[in-house]
Amino acid sequence: MKRILFSFYRVELKRLLSSRNVITAAILSMLSLPLGNLLYEHSSRVMSARYIMTPVLTGTTVGAVVWAVVMIMESDRLQRSGVHILTDAVAPPASLSAARTLALLTISMIVTALTALVYLPYTAARMSYLFSPGFYFANFAVFMLPTWWISILLADALYQITRRVEGSVILYIAIAGVSVSGIASSDYFMRWINPFVITYSDGFPSIWPLRIGLYTRVIWICIALAFWLISMLCVRRYQRGLVFSFRKNVRKLYILAPAAVSAAAAVCLWHFQPFIDHGPEYFDYKPEIVLEIDDANRISSILYSIELDPASGTLSAKAEYDIQVPYRGEALLYLNPGYRITSMSYDGEAVPFRTVDSDINGQRPTYFELPEQLCNKTLVIEYSGFPTQGKCWSSSMVMDTIDRDYITLSTCAIVPMLENYYTGVDKAAIAEITIPDNLTPFLNHARMTQYVDNGDGTKTWTERCPKYLSDLTAGYYTIDTFNIGELEVDFAYGTAYEETVRENDIQQAIIDILTYCSDHYGELFSADDGHLLLRQESSMFMGGYAVTGVSTWFETILTPDTLRDTDKGASATEVFIHEMIHQWWGGLGLSCTNEELWSPEGLTVYSTYRLVKEKYGALYAQQYYVDAWKKSVDGQNRSFYNRHPEYLALLPELYQSQIASANRGINRYQRMPLMILKAEELVGGEEQMDEILRRMYADQDQYENGFGFEDFLRYCNLTEEDLNLE
Amino acid sequence: MKIDVDHITMIYPSGKKALQDISLHAESPNFIGVLGPNGAGKTTLMKLLIAGLLPTKGEILLNEMPLLSQEKYLKSQLGYLPQSFGLYDELTVWQFLDYMAALKNIKDPGAITEVLERTNMTGQKKTRIRSLSGGQRQRVGIAQALLGNPQLIILDEPTVGLDPEERVKFRNIFSEMAQDKIVLLSTHIVEDVQAVCNRVLVIHDGLILFDGTPSRLIAQTEQHVGIYHAQLGDAVPDGCQIVSKVHTADGIRSRIVAEHLPPYAQPCEPTLEDAYLYCIHRPQNRIDPREEPAAK
Repeated sequence: MKRILFSFYRVELKRLLSSRNVITAAILSMLSLPLGNLLYEHSSRVMSARYIMTPVLTGTTVGAVVWAVVMIMESDRLQRSGVHILTDAVAPPASLSAARTLALLTISMIVTALTALVYLPYTAARMSYLFSPGFYFANFAVFMLPTWWISILLADALYQITRRVEGSVILYIAIAGVSVSGIASSDYFMRWINPFVITYSDGFPSIWPLRIGLYTRVIWICIALAFWLISMLCVRRYQRGLVFSFRKNVRKLYILAPAAVSAAAAVCLWHFQPFIDHGPEYFDYKPEIVLEIDDANRISSILYSIELDPASGTLSAKAEYDIQVPYRGEALLYLNPGYRITSMSYDGEAVPFRTVDSDINGQRPTYFELPEQLCNKTLVIEYSGFPTQGKCWSSSMVMDTIDRDYITLSTCAIVPMLENYYTGVDKAAIAEITIPDNLTPFLNHARMTQYVDNGDGTKTWTERCPKYLSDLTAGYYTIDTFNIGELEVDFAYGTAYEETVRENDIQQAIIDILTYCSDHYGELFSADDGHLLLRQESSMFMGGYAVTGVSTWFETILTPDTLRDTDKGASATEVFIHEMIHQWWGGLGLSCTNEELWSPEGLTVYSTYRLVKEKYGALYAQQYYVDAWKKSVDGQNRSFYNRHPEYLALLPELYQSQIASANRGINRYQRMPLMILKAEELVGGEEQMDEILRRMYADQDQYENGFGFEDFLRYCNLTEEDLNLE
Repeated sequence: MKIDVDHITMIYPSGKKALQDISLHAESPNFIGVLGPNGAGKTTLMKLLIAGLLPTKGEILLNEMPLLSQEKYLKSQLGYLPQSFGLYDELTVWQFLDYMAALKNIKDPGAITEVLERTNMTGQKKTRIRSLSGGQRQRVGIAQALLGNPQLIILDEPTVGLDPEERVKFRNIFSEMAQDKIVLLSTHIVEDVQAVCNRVLVIHDGLILFDGTPSRLIAQTEQHVGIYHAQLGDAVPDGCQIVSKVHTADGIRSRIVAEHLPPYAQPCEPTLEDAYLYCIHRPQNRIDPREEPAAK
């Protein structure tokens, strides 16, 4: 049987290779790749996203459609031309059909390889030193080829079932439609024909998108294979219809069994996928459970021992808490939903615990109870696993991943968030983190400094830290240290960008920005003991941020495309400036009130505008800042649902949440800067506003509960009505 | 090889009755000519024999086993040329035959060379099928049917589109092949059947009207074929079928078949064509093959 199938396969392969349909499909598929960058000209400034991701994904989708059409045409051609009358007489039609499909799958594989080779020189030339051949070929292997296979299998299955071209095409469009429609807009698993990838990173290459891409492709191959095998049971026999033929064929266990296995595998892989948690789609802003914390429930010291295995992408760790007085009742901890607690013991005795499958914001709760009479003992929690992404942010960034070249973990993807207990001191914990020795780690945003080389390709880094760890990042970083006055600056950027930093004198640009802001608003408070870390963030992490002593900035600021782009305002360099200015306004502890209108973003955007105005001129600043703000705010004002909030309440929660999120963004980034601009006018001009801002910045210590909108108005001697934009 | 068709009835899902309770037996060697008007059920019978259709009633046995349980064996032993068929135009003649050889699990490339020679297509073996004439395409069809020396050859109108010389050549090839095989030849050309078949089946309206040797079919037409001279405009005598008309100086010399010849008709020696026409216009003359064993 196998020999016969191979024999059929051989001749079908030869035949299809000389088919005009197939040759046309191959050419169209190969030509479709540049279409991506025509359609999404400036979709991403990350080189690997622009020159690998976008073309490959475009070729993936276009090719999938093209190959599906060819599959249907070739299957139908056999019927239409009457060749099947000859072939069916001497060969089982199902075997011949299977051989034809396998042959087309092979051809699509050849075309994928050819496509990759054809575009290789261009891509390598465009990406220059950022080009990685392995990553380039992996994209074709992970996205393009499997998707074409899925498409071919589905198309053939539809034809075998319907035996009509138009029927197959309509059903194919329906199945593909689900993938490209809004229903699956940011769903990694539903998007079979247009795989969902956020973006890539040049300096901090993460294989997380490839991992989930491959995983979803495997799921869909299983689905398509099961469907295709079932369709083999529908191959018409004795000139009879679908039902008759299916009844005749259904006893073929050698088809049914693999179809069932394939379908079961798809269901299991989908249900037990390890990438995204099962939490809500949008960040849940509901207040968390208010826990009763007694002063007595104190932890005297903590030791975290964490080992990261980039090969498997997993973490295995132990958290040891020296507990003075156990919490009375059931205590709570949160861990990343991808982790499993392998053991929990207190004073050497196992502690029963229960993990509840109710994920929220990338956390999963576990409850446990310690014997309250046993004081001053050690609670040991061992846990391990592959970190999942919170569903609420999985469509916009990669928060938690352990790769060979890049590691980023957040909060409970590093250590348990142990509620009900407090430490009483700032840095009660010691973290020992073992990672590959070529990566530079940052813990809680700061640079780690002490390590032991284990001699096995890993280093164990040690750092004093608080009970909660908010961030662990490690990658290929180069750190340049220089001084601006008395401020020591660590400028950390991807090693891949060394040439860019040197050629564009980025260091001098930083000095200029820091000098300007210090002059206008005062010396930087956030510089911790005269030290500031400026760290480049992977483009897979959304935006930059600032905390005490640290400012992170977006990777794309240094990509060649960004630096080449001279015709676009509000450039990525200005985003860099924006993030730097957060050093001043991020530390002000601005409280969010007034429907989140008032936040650090408003002042930061305004200050960026001022700096840009001084640097590039008033016209530029007016066009790319003030006019752009006005346009957004006008759009927000004209929105039907904003004018008629009573109808907003009638919308499904999903849409309400999306509109609220859009409003929040406009309020922070456009409305608030406009209001500050109006305030500037009312207080007498830029100099007066600078003086007010300087005073605000100097007085920030007086506002323990955050600097509110009313405080700003008071400093300006204005009322809220004065700043009304309407 | 042995084939038994046992009381087969074939009714299509559309309700059309194609065959009604027919039976026949064939053992190799046997060259059976199947005659019958369009829509008589010839093609349906052939499709049933290649397991392309399932009978509504009755059973077909291959070597005394149900045909459906022998499908794999049947396909390996079958050479089939349907009445109408398609070819892959983009392939060359050789590539197409190689394709069909693979489907028939024939590994010897010599088999392709052999059928190319037999069908006189060696010169065109590298020609793309789209460039072939109608007759050449038909020859490719015949070539694929003959590939691999099949034990059961079913040919439905194989000589359509061939010139007379080729037709004669091919029927001789078929005849040679039938020396150790079962060959079923459906045709409208009675002359071909007469020339090469040792047995003839006459099918009409889904019934086998005759199953026997050509000579026997001819013999039963003795005294039912005649010639008479008619004038232009004369009506055909009642109960007579005109076989041929020849315009002569004395008027129209008409050859007729009839149950009862008119008195003015001169009886003459029947041909197989006369016998066939006589047979299909006298359904009551059906001969039960069980009473008259088929000739071999």
